[in-house]
Amino acid sequence: MSFVLGTTLLAVVTALACALPGVFVVLRKNSMLVDAISHAVLPGIVVGYFFAHNLDSPLLILGAALAGLIVVLGSEWLSRTGLLTGDASQGLIFPALFSGGVILVTLNFANVHLDTHAVLVGDLNLAAWQQLIIGGASWGPVYLYVMLAVLLVNLAFLGLFYAKLKVTTFDAQFATSLGIRSGLLNTAFMFLVSVTVTAAFNAAGAILVIALVVVPAATAYLLSTRLSVMIALTTGIAVAGALAGFWLAYVLDAATSAGMSVFYGLVFGVVLVATRLRQRRNRNVREHAVAASQ
Amino acid sequence: MSLIEFLGNHTYRMVLFGTITIGLVAGALGSFAYLRKQSLISDVISHAALPGTLLAFLTAVVVLGADGRNMIALIIGAVIVGTLAVLFANGITRASKIRIDTAMAVSLTVFFGAGMLLMRIIANGAFPGKGGIQDYLFGNASVITIADLTTSITVGALALTLMLLFWKEFSLRTFDPDHSTVLGFRARTIDTLMFTTIVIATVIGVKAVGLVLMVAFVVTPPAAARQWTRTLPGMVALSGLFGAVGSGVGAYLSIVLGKVPTGPLIVLTLFAIFLVSLLFSPRRSIITRAISRTRARAALKRELLLASTPAEGALR
Repeated sequence: MSFVLGTTLLAVVTALACALPGVFVVLRKNSMLVDAISHAVLPGIVVGYFFAHNLDSPLLILGAALAGLIVVLGSEWLSRTGLLTGDASQGLIFPALFSGGVILVTLNFANVHLDTHAVLVGDLNLAAWQQLIIGGASWGPVYLYVMLAVLLVNLAFLGLFYAKLKVTTFDAQFATSLGIRSGLLNTAFMFLVSVTVTAAFNAAGAILVIALVVVPAATAYLLSTRLSVMIALTTGIAVAGALAGFWLAYVLDAATSAGMSVFYGLVFGVVLVATRLRQRRNRNVREHAVAASQ
Repeated sequence: MSLIEFLGNHTYRMVLFGTITIGLVAGALGSFAYLRKQSLISDVISHAALPGTLLAFLTAVVVLGADGRNMIALIIGAVIVGTLAVLFANGITRASKIRIDTAMAVSLTVFFGAGMLLMRIIANGAFPGKGGIQDYLFGNASVITIADLTTSITVGALALTLMLLFWKEFSLRTFDPDHSTVLGFRARTIDTLMFTTIVIATVIGVKAVGLVLMVAFVVTPPAAARQWTRTLPGMVALSGLFGAVGSGVGAYLSIVLGKVPTGPLIVLTLFAIFLVSLLFSPRRSIITRAISRTRARAALKRELLLASTPAEGALR
């Protein structure tokens, strides 16, 4: 497999793995929670490294996903105390965790190559550097297979719990009366989001991860009123955006993450304006029809 | 290190006064974001401050031929673009069915992505004075100059004055938006003005603290202050005080301990203040609430027992 093809595939698979859970993240009003999770990943990676002493260890991903879960459960607990308003509970937890991570890095691991800048920005080309060689032939970047596994796990989870996720998302009270343990389901789902964000982190950096999770689903949400349609549109937008953003980054010689998030943003903006204009035109047509009939 | 020794050092003095100013302004003005239930808007603002400062840098260097590190120019750029990001997020929710959390996430990623592209363009080009530009990601308190400090104090005082001038409008709009509209206040004008002060509070700290951690300066002090007070003036004052004290203590500790970065240590200090407030404040805290609940339960039990066993000397 050529380098460009492998990296392009990595971009597409990463985009898909992030965007699919993103549908439910957007519908459940958890978008900013993904931002919080992605920032909390840093201390998780540091603690994972503390135990593994190896930057490629799966313990790092586990530690980071657990840190993400601390943000989710911690902010949930803070809001349940009823002593905080609005979204403050999230804004309290993740800077504290991130600070702890930065302090740990500077105190103990200054010699380790844990570049906080790379963690924030991310670059697919760097993640694609390590190639999988079997029998002398290249099978594309190793990371492609990691993201492929994450994508499959996400697909399996969403497939198995589709009905339950749907009912807890749209009518939580009804779901409880059906006997669905929505708290447990929510925790499992957010843990999966945490794992996805962590895995994608290496390839995408903190910022693109949020863009990949939230923006395709938000764009699809503008265009659809049915969940199945929204999922299909999200898939399409994620793939198209991955390819175009990747190309944009090459043209501008910039980090892939920046190119992709700006491109996703452009698509979102165009769709927002287009749906606005269509609404206005429909309203005008209706008013004309009413005026003509009178 | 004694306090006199500490204050005798120019760099330490700058770090201490600079962070105290940031903490005071962000804490006081953050109260309104907290009460409007939009604390995370400051996270959007701080991320949008990156393209703002970079655009200001480019304008200063390319168009005006000035020094790109001029803090006033950088703050103006950050305030303009930060305000645009807030308006964009609020505009999305007004124009569509997308709710504010997703709108904020979209706004944050788009503006920050654009900032990263700009950063790459600046890094690839030959611009004088582009050296410190990386500091905006994580902040660096040790590079605060006298000019920076004066600028922060002036701009911060300006934002606080705005808040005091429009105190009545801000509080009405926060607690009773319908009533404020009925009274004839222009909702959008007041909102824009209020968010501008929050933008100022956020961006003056980006250079020293970094854009990732700035959100903690805006969210944590109000959340802690709310535990101790029931009035708006009390909350704003206490929140500013918490911000200032937390920043001062954190900055002092980071210098005395050495090697520990200032911003993260301040954030942890603020978080400790918040935890203490959450657990121990007299009226509304987890512990006092647990105590009063146990007491109420015991009282109820006593009453029920009393009702089931007839009192002594009662008529049969």
